[in-house]
Amino acid sequence: MSPRRHLLTAGAVWVVLSVLGIVVVAGLQIIPVIASREAAIENHAFVLLTAVSVPVLMLVVVGLVYAALRFRAPNGTADGMADGIVDGPPIHGHRGFQAAWLAISLLMVLGLFAYGAVGLVEIRGAQAADFEVQVEAEQWAWHYAYANGVRSTELHVPVDRRVHLVIKSDDVIHSFWVPAFGVKQDAVPGHPTQIYVTATHAGTFPGMCAELCGLGHTGMTTTVVVADQAAVDAWLSNQPKPSPKPSPKPSPEASGS
Amino acid sequence: MTTHAAIGAHDEEAAAAASNMLLAVKLAILSEVMLFGALFAAYFVIRGESPGWPPPGHLERPELVLPGFNTLLLVSSSVTMQLAVRAARAGNQSRILRWLGLTLLLGGTFIVIQAYEFSTNGFGLDAGTFGSTFYILTGFHGAHVLAGAILIAIVANRTRLGLVSVEHHTALEGTSYYWHFVDVVWIFLFSSLYVL
Amino acid sequence: MIATRVLAAARTFAPRSRSFVPRPGLPRAILGAIIGFALGGGLAAELKAEPGQMLALAYLFGLAGFLLGVGAFRFWLTWAVGREIDVAEEHAAHGRAGEWQRYFRFTTDHKVIGVQYLVTAFVLFFTAGTAAMFMRFELAQPGIATNKELYNTIMSTHGAMMITVALVSIIGGLGNYLVPIMIGARDMAFPKANALSYWMLPLAILLVAINPLLGGFDSGWTAYPPLSQQANLGQQAYLMAFVTVGVSSILSAINFLVTVFRMRAPGMSLMRMPIFVWALTVTAALALIATSVVAAAFTMLLFDRILGTAFFRASRGGDVILFQHLFWFYSHPAVYIMALPGLGAILEVVPVFARKPLFAYPLAVLSFISIGVMSFMVWAHHMFVSGMAEFFHIPIMLTTELISVPTGIVFLSALGTIWLGRIQFKVPMLWVFGFIWAFLIGGITGVFLADVPTDIALSDTAFVVAHFHYTIVGGTIFGLFAGTYYWFPKITGRMYNERLGRLHFWWFTLAFNATFIPMFWLGIEGMRRRVADYPAEFGTVNLFISIAAFNIALSVGVFAFNMIRSWKTGPVAESNPWQAQTLEWQIASPPPIQNFDEIPTVTATPYQYGSPRPAAAEGSSGS
Repeated sequence: MSPRRHLLTAGAVWVVLSVLGIVVVAGLQIIPVIASREAAIENHAFVLLTAVSVPVLMLVVVGLVYAALRFRAPNGTADGMADGIVDGPPIHGHRGFQAAWLAISLLMVLGLFAYGAVGLVEIRGAQAADFEVQVEAEQWAWHYAYANGVRSTELHVPVDRRVHLVIKSDDVIHSFWVPAFGVKQDAVPGHPTQIYVTATHAGTFPGMCAELCGLGHTGMTTTVVVADQAAVDAWLSNQPKPSPKPSPKPSPEASGS
Repeated sequence: MTTHAAIGAHDEEAAAAASNMLLAVKLAILSEVMLFGALFAAYFVIRGESPGWPPPGHLERPELVLPGFNTLLLVSSSVTMQLAVRAARAGNQSRILRWLGLTLLLGGTFIVIQAYEFSTNGFGLDAGTFGSTFYILTGFHGAHVLAGAILIAIVANRTRLGLVSVEHHTALEGTSYYWHFVDVVWIFLFSSLYVL
Repeated sequence: MIATRVLAAARTFAPRSRSFVPRPGLPRAILGAIIGFALGGGLAAELKAEPGQMLALAYLFGLAGFLLGVGAFRFWLTWAVGREIDVAEEHAAHGRAGEWQRYFRFTTDHKVIGVQYLVTAFVLFFTAGTAAMFMRFELAQPGIATNKELYNTIMSTHGAMMITVALVSIIGGLGNYLVPIMIGARDMAFPKANALSYWMLPLAILLVAINPLLGGFDSGWTAYPPLSQQANLGQQAYLMAFVTVGVSSILSAINFLVTVFRMRAPGMSLMRMPIFVWALTVTAALALIATSVVAAAFTMLLFDRILGTAFFRASRGGDVILFQHLFWFYSHPAVYIMALPGLGAILEVVPVFARKPLFAYPLAVLSFISIGVMSFMVWAHHMFVSGMAEFFHIPIMLTTELISVPTGIVFLSALGTIWLGRIQFKVPMLWVFGFIWAFLIGGITGVFLADVPTDIALSDTAFVVAHFHYTIVGGTIFGLFAGTYYWFPKITGRMYNERLGRLHFWWFTLAFNATFIPMFWLGIEGMRRRVADYPAEFGTVNLFISIAAFNIALSVGVFAFNMIRSWKTGPVAESNPWQAQTLEWQIASPPPIQNFDEIPTVTATPYQYGSPRPAAAEGSSGS
């Protein structure tokens, strides 16, 4: 078989498998639960990246499998190579192929970057919100302080409203993560951080700490409740008002173990 | 490095070994540049984020007189160091010893003055970010000066024993690279920690 | 009978030592370490030091004592006081061929040092693997089966040890052994410094291994403050050990660079060097430049712990995120320090078993250099959710995406070599194919982490764990296995067992893929990393993963058995069983102490497969 035939045969297999793969992937929802505007944007990114990965994966896999089947030489004795070993053709490179490979990979990468940059800007969105909550992380629990002074260990936010979370920690680095919202941000001592999110589905969703913070990291979970504004307001007004100043936390120097 | 002078092929080998050693010293200095670079980066970042420098509550800013004088000492010692290298290239043993001795004196005085300055500074390593950044930079630098002084003393002793010649003075030359590097770091240090 | 043989062995080991002085090498080193440790600890007690300060002093003195005892500084101290160097003793430091004691002494022969590194790395690999088995035992089912504190420590120790293996196994082991021979030299530029680099490791490794006894550490190898400022003494043990390994690798890097740039055989221009040598050269450059930065970061962290400084203490004006910037500025190049040697080994093996020249060799060299340079521009992709400055995200996303272009060239080169080849599927080639698959998966999943929108969802999940196992195991470990099997006959003079080798490969590869593919799914579904427990719905998949992981361990047992038995009683190998063209195959197996009888002259790259071979020349020839 001539080199050209090899290339065309493998190429054809590659095209077929890639197309099939892309078709399968395009219909998928990759993020399991999508309950916010941000998570929806991220899901699009997931699907696109997976679709782009398919032809790359297939190129290498088809190349490997085809080569293993078609370019195999008879195996040698157990120790060393076959007697009468035959070399392959002395091909040191191929300018055109190398240039094409470089050009195509560069274009793909720049395209992915552009898409990712636009996506990130969209996810960050407007830095203005209708509803603000202070998220306080400590070893090993989450506390929420609402605008009207209420404190709770549950996060209640209104649906279809822009929510602003200010995330703080006084002991070690934690990370506030709500998978269904597609938001994650570290809680850094000395450096409050922000999340802006718009929930799009009512319901109860899990949240958890996503930065190793000591012994209790595994169990540092929380609950996020999304409901319409009226329900959230009602819940807020029913919460007990906080007593002045919670008791001081143990100093960071005390070992967490 | 052997202690025998030799001729012919051995000379070529010795010259190659010397050149390899000097390349190694330069590469080591590159690694040290990154070390001090990281420490300087930490200093500038912490200082940039601080509400004022020294930070509020920290009263003492070290005076410029002693470190300024120290800067003169160290720069002079680089000059004397280079003169020692020149003397080695000319093969003049007594001149090598003289200039090395002076370099050692200048470097040693630097260390003494700096030790005195530290003891009268009025703040320590545990004085918040100011003390931390000040002492880690000057401390690492001071340790490098001390190591350099020890190297110079070793080379001076070998010179005295007649082991340093026009053909064999790689250690002297390598030490001079190191010493100049230490001097340059000091100039950055003086500018960033004391003057700025 | 036995007594006579023991006495004879003792006499060859130390013919002149008096009865109470331990033999040179490791025994004296251990004594030195004990004395140093006691001195340092005693000094600390005198100064009324805290436990952390005491550990630091004891370790530093212990390390100095260990190195003094092993004889690392004997030459330099003699030189420093201007005394006469004993030339005969100098030569003896090379060790006599066939003498097993060389491996337990301060031997300067690069071949001995290479084996020391390789064996040490594999022992560390097995130990770290055992730690992983403990982790997988805990994670096999929901709930806590063992102990959360112990889990965090074992998890951190697994990471610390494996990172060390990945950093030193190929460049220290195979690199030290082969690079001088591959470039036509008799040894490295600085043989004593080479031995010193090695001997800095055992005590550091011991310190990491015993950290559970010091209270353990639960910060992971990344050691982020403030958690790492809080944690027990075991944390400090890790920090000090890591800095030690760092200093060792900087010394090693200087040695490599001077050797490669100054000691090549006549005719071997840079563009005629084997690709493995190129990969290690770029690796050495990275190690030289980047390592000091993490040494600085760890030193500042240590100072925060034991000297009351405030670099990373937010309440006193310190900057917590600063640590991450400094740490990752080193640690991203570090992953290329880990991967490039593996990539180099793979690309060295492919032409030999495809019987074709390495495809696009100059481009492959250029891509290694580009990867090296660009590796300094991407570090903050480990910090997308850290709270770092917002403006940084988009430039770092760009540079991180771009670095996949030169990385892709590795696949072009490997596939281009294989395509139209006449492939001999010996065990080393099996590892090449396994690498291509595994490193590809690692690379593709890396794009999901480079893209900030998807990274937000995936950061700190099991997805990341799967990604880096695919790149590091796929790149470094598959490369290590390929190289170890490939060069086994050269190093030992014997051939490994091909059937056991194939069994190891298939068992390991299937088990490895079965372990880590499901982890991608787990990460997407929301399972975090560095946790000892997880929601019940992940139980079945985790059980599957644990069973697959135990299989990895079993397959590695096959490897160890094969290596040990073949080394002792395998069939004698000829000098060039693979009919390869690099210089190490043109001399005996194992090589004589001086490597070459006559330094060869090189006329082309060692990838002239398919071209008419030069007639066998006098002495050894390149190609």
